[in-house]
Amino acid sequence: MKCLLIASESAEVLFYWTDPEFRQNVQDQYGASQEEGQRPPAFEDSLNTLFAPIIISCSTMVDRLGDSYACFTTENQHNYVLHQFDECLYIAVNGDGQECEDDLRRKIYVMKKMIEVLFGMVNLSSNLLRKELRPQDTEQRTALWKHLQGLLETYSRLRDNDQSFLVEAVERLIHPTLCEQCIEFLERRLLPALNSSSERSGEEVLHAFILVHTKLLAFYSSRNTSTLSPSDLLALIVMTQSMYPSHTDQEDHGPEDVESVSVSGLEMFYTPQPSPTNRSSSGSERTAREDTPVFEFVDPDIQIAEDSLITLEVSPPDPLAPTRVFLEVSLKDGLYPMMPHSMYCRPLWPGITLVLLTKIPNSSVAMSVYSYLEAFAKLEKRLSEGQEGPAAARGQPTVHDLRSKLDKFIKALGPCDIQTSQLQNVWSEFKKRAFTRGGPGFTRELIPWCKSMKTQLCGVYKQCFLNATTRGADAPQRLSPALQELAQAMVQETLVDWKDFLLVKSKRNITMVSYPDFPGLVHFICVDRSSGQMIAPSLNITERSTSELGGGPLAQFIRGKVWGLVRTARQYLQKGYSTATLRDGDFYFCYFLWFENETGYKLDEVDLPVLPDDSPPIGVLARDYYRKLLRYYSKTHAGEVVKCYELLTVHLGVIPTEYILQHCRQLASKLWEPSRNPLL
Amino acid sequence: MAELMANSGRCTYFFLYDGTKVQGEGDPTREGICYFYPEQTPVDQQELLCGQLAGVGRCVSELSSSPVRVLRLRHSKFAIKMEDDFFWALGCAMDFPTVSMCDRLDQLIKLFCFYNGPVRQSYQTNSRETLALCWSRYLFYLQAGATELHHIFSCLRTIDSTHIDPLLLLKAALILQACQRCPLVLAGCILFRGRVVSTQMPPCLTVRVMAHETQTYNKDERLNGVSSSFPLSRAVTSTTVHLTLSELQDLRSTTVDRESRPHSTPSQGSRPRRTRLSRTLSDTPSTESNPDLEPEPPGKPMRLDAPLSPGLSRGAEQRVATPTNDPLLSPASPRFPEISPLTNQKGPRRGGQEEEDEEDGPLEKSRYYSFHSPDGNTSQTEFQGEAPPPTDASPLGNPPPTGRRAPEREGSPEGRAASGGSGGGRRSGGDILPGAGVKDRTVVPMTLYQHRVKGLLLALLVEPHLQRDTEAMEEVYHSSLASLNGLEAHLRTVAPGPAGLQGPYTFAHYDCVQNTLTTNVSGRAGGDQDHSFVRATSLLHTHFCNSDALQEAIIRSARTAVYATRSVAQETYFLQHGGALRNSGVPNHQDTAFTLPSKARHRLLKHGVSLL
Repeated sequence: MKCLLIASESAEVLFYWTDPEFRQNVQDQYGASQEEGQRPPAFEDSLNTLFAPIIISCSTMVDRLGDSYACFTTENQHNYVLHQFDECLYIAVNGDGQECEDDLRRKIYVMKKMIEVLFGMVNLSSNLLRKELRPQDTEQRTALWKHLQGLLETYSRLRDNDQSFLVEAVERLIHPTLCEQCIEFLERRLLPALNSSSERSGEEVLHAFILVHTKLLAFYSSRNTSTLSPSDLLALIVMTQSMYPSHTDQEDHGPEDVESVSVSGLEMFYTPQPSPTNRSSSGSERTAREDTPVFEFVDPDIQIAEDSLITLEVSPPDPLAPTRVFLEVSLKDGLYPMMPHSMYCRPLWPGITLVLLTKIPNSSVAMSVYSYLEAFAKLEKRLSEGQEGPAAARGQPTVHDLRSKLDKFIKALGPCDIQTSQLQNVWSEFKKRAFTRGGPGFTRELIPWCKSMKTQLCGVYKQCFLNATTRGADAPQRLSPALQELAQAMVQETLVDWKDFLLVKSKRNITMVSYPDFPGLVHFICVDRSSGQMIAPSLNITERSTSELGGGPLAQFIRGKVWGLVRTARQYLQKGYSTATLRDGDFYFCYFLWFENETGYKLDEVDLPVLPDDSPPIGVLARDYYRKLLRYYSKTHAGEVVKCYELLTVHLGVIPTEYILQHCRQLASKLWEPSRNPLL
Repeated sequence: MAELMANSGRCTYFFLYDGTKVQGEGDPTREGICYFYPEQTPVDQQELLCGQLAGVGRCVSELSSSPVRVLRLRHSKFAIKMEDDFFWALGCAMDFPTVSMCDRLDQLIKLFCFYNGPVRQSYQTNSRETLALCWSRYLFYLQAGATELHHIFSCLRTIDSTHIDPLLLLKAALILQACQRCPLVLAGCILFRGRVVSTQMPPCLTVRVMAHETQTYNKDERLNGVSSSFPLSRAVTSTTVHLTLSELQDLRSTTVDRESRPHSTPSQGSRPRRTRLSRTLSDTPSTESNPDLEPEPPGKPMRLDAPLSPGLSRGAEQRVATPTNDPLLSPASPRFPEISPLTNQKGPRRGGQEEEDEEDGPLEKSRYYSFHSPDGNTSQTEFQGEAPPPTDASPLGNPPPTGRRAPEREGSPEGRAASGGSGGGRRSGGDILPGAGVKDRTVVPMTLYQHRVKGLLLALLVEPHLQRDTEAMEEVYHSSLASLNGLEAHLRTVAPGPAGLQGPYTFAHYDCVQNTLTTNVSGRAGGDQDHSFVRATSLLHTHFCNSDALQEAIIRSARTAVYATRSVAQETYFLQHGGALRNSGVPNHQDTAFTLPSKARHRLLKHGVSLL
């Protein structure tokens, strides 16, 4: 019983996703109140009717009390979490006990992150975002919602099954030689080949990486390029997995007995899926997508009740068309969020994917727009704080600076086939008010004009970066199909001998048998938060084995414990506790978060911030908590490179605490020293 | 323990909204507001909160087909109860544990029903103003006086046993037992200045009885005017109270058991009868009791087998061995004229009791509400400790093995609140009476008999017709009067003493069965350490409540480390003061935080807390 809904303040549904149970529940409730013989209303309408009172009450509370709903819990343990981003209210519901409040809040923030990656700065204007999320055209809307639903489901599946999405850190395939070879290949051969080609239409490949399922085999960024943040990388992996899902995880965790799991697991492994590389059959990508349980309704009754969303089949997007993604770029002069990139996702074999991220030619426009938006936002803030006149006009950059720059910017946009008349109108109106002698000048009255300037700038941004490519139609700029094929062929050629190995390796990256020196240690996860990477023995091994955790109930049980431990650790971390040890049933859990400098010297602890209950979830994907934490910590350690680590362990409860703690210490010092780790 | 108004434990809002009053389009929301706290809140604000919260609550409960329990805003949170078109909301600060907040709302509603009967009915017969007064009193009572820790555990306030002669507690228990010999008396408790001295009732009932005590002690107006003076004395009053069927069943099963005890009946009538209701230790001839008392091994942990006996620490036990001629007690125990009619009236039962008196000492066979199964004999043996009942001569039972006695706390939070930690007792009652859940909503009027001697109050839950039975009334009154006077005189002279036993550590020990808290957090000092201790405790307590399997935990921030451990019957929290934590932060077995468990075991022994 799960649902996620985005609604505008006027209770218009901007997006929704439900699982079949929730849908059934709503339809049952609605069916009961319908008169005989009447056709049940479209599902979206029922949903709207049911949630409207909550949405309206929410805005009433904000208006009149300055407070809004954060969460409801019912006596039968249904959870509702609500969060408002600007004018969009997100509501996440769980009624099957599988997701706690924190999970739901995380889901909301992840959804928000995905929308940011897909729509960039359009997010800064609620009005524009509303139109983007709910296109007038039914077919477009269906396609978009289906895409978002796919992303949400992919994320939920990964969070429930993949340790790297549990702790929100990237997991590398641990095979140093091969990784090194691949990185070298990307650096010396692939990127030069692509970036020197004339068929790249002005795009430049900045980052290239190879994923085996969700694990990173190799990652290379061209020189002088901003690093890709862990948060963005995780979001891109979700997108890749949504396009080319690997189902192995799901299969492995089925509660079947060990035998059948191992058989089906192996089959999964070696059965080639329909190759999505075959471009002539345009359905190939669709087949892959349809495998995700988006709307798998078996009940014919439900299908009758389907509304337009499902009955309208959408033509699949061109698999060679890039996806427009908006990622954070950090340059010398500052951090620029939501800068446009194109993402090319090329499946090499089922489960192995090559991802290319390119810089698009006119991306400098985005940077300008962002700096203007920031300037107007600052001005607005100063004005609303009561600063007026020249005091408000000061600031970095000064408003007069802004004036000349913006004039030039608008002039430059002219020949680019972008409609700027509205922007020009608003801008001249703004100038008239702000700069004319005898005009109102910098007063509170200018605030609405600041707002509409921001809206207009977002509009220009939208025209530049969203209209052309997202629909997949004849995109003006992109790496040519031949060039993409070339890239794919080059990587395939390099990896062809490794492919089967990689697929197996990704499932048993490292295993607990590699740690014989730690008797009683059942499982651990170690995360380097500075680089956003994690190491953990794989939990989803399908082969039957007496020496490790196999599939079946035991692995399932341990898995549940590990997932619960991460949840608990986050709760304590949120309240400022960086260490927790718990004796829970037959197990002993430890959690540590600590700081080191570059040379591995352990740094002193400081008081961690105590966060309120409804603060963004502790993690990386949606909001990078650890980056903030590192910044916070670095304040007291100026001039030093500070690294942050986390270690979670699960031991058998019979092991004396003293040994357990010694294990933790040894693991902590061993794991990140490549020479001493048997597998690094 | 010092009194402190804890801030975070205070409720920010409380209201009761009656949905039946606002059904039509034009009905103003204020019609539905039965009570709103804080009362000075502007009406439109009241309407806003009631209207919006009740509306959203209904919407959500329809979507989920289940009433809303918790509703959280960004800056405050509410425990919600939806029943019979009534909507209750109790708001607390964000850092107050949600579990405790929900407990408190349930307590509050039950408290109201205890004195006023079902809510719907009481609103039909009384004016809103009268009942508003009740709500505000109960609300005040539930959040007054105690430390924040008490709010977190919603526990009973008991007298500080460390400064009280254990014999006084024994005496209190004796008075209660004596009263209980009258078959119309179900159970009782003795309170002194708003704190429990001894009780036979489950904690959830004791709390409710205490609410009335606090009011009368504070010389407040009489509640509802239902109190009436007894002809006997102005000190005795009675009030109608309402028990649910299952609560009543639990109390009455005690009586049933008393009659059906097999080993007491055979010798009935064959012994000379003692015909007093009241017996204190000093009443018992020393020749009879002394030899019987002595075999008790001195080191053995002893307690009154009353469900609540805060007074007996280890240091006290030795003194109990020769109690009879204790000068402390003698003035309080004049011999009473024998009341023979009563004895005849209750022939068989009396006989049984008398027989025990002769043989086993006065206290051994007392019955308690919660540890009974229908086959009283075996279960009695179990709960009384190692010694078999007929020869167990001690007036003090051993503390029962914790595992047996403890209720399962992990039930629904509501169940926990309802039973106030005495879930085991309630559950056994439920076994006898299948469908007790249904009966929870029907209430039976009973009478709360109260006999006040200055700061001391004897409160008894009695069958309503006791009031008409003058003889029985007199008997109960006279049998306890002198003892109460004596007890009061002693308790009054007890110096308050320093709050808690201080040390270089902070601890809290919560007994889930008796629903009591032992702690050295004074509350008044409110130091940094205390504050972080309370914060950690509320987090860990919430975690314990939500996790079945969690047994112990150490959590550490840069400055403090708190160790917590729990068994089915208790939760203990410990913080060591002084000095920065050594080796903190990184995983290190030399980290001082990990020495907490052994320190706690060692330090808490002197508070009578055994973590072994």
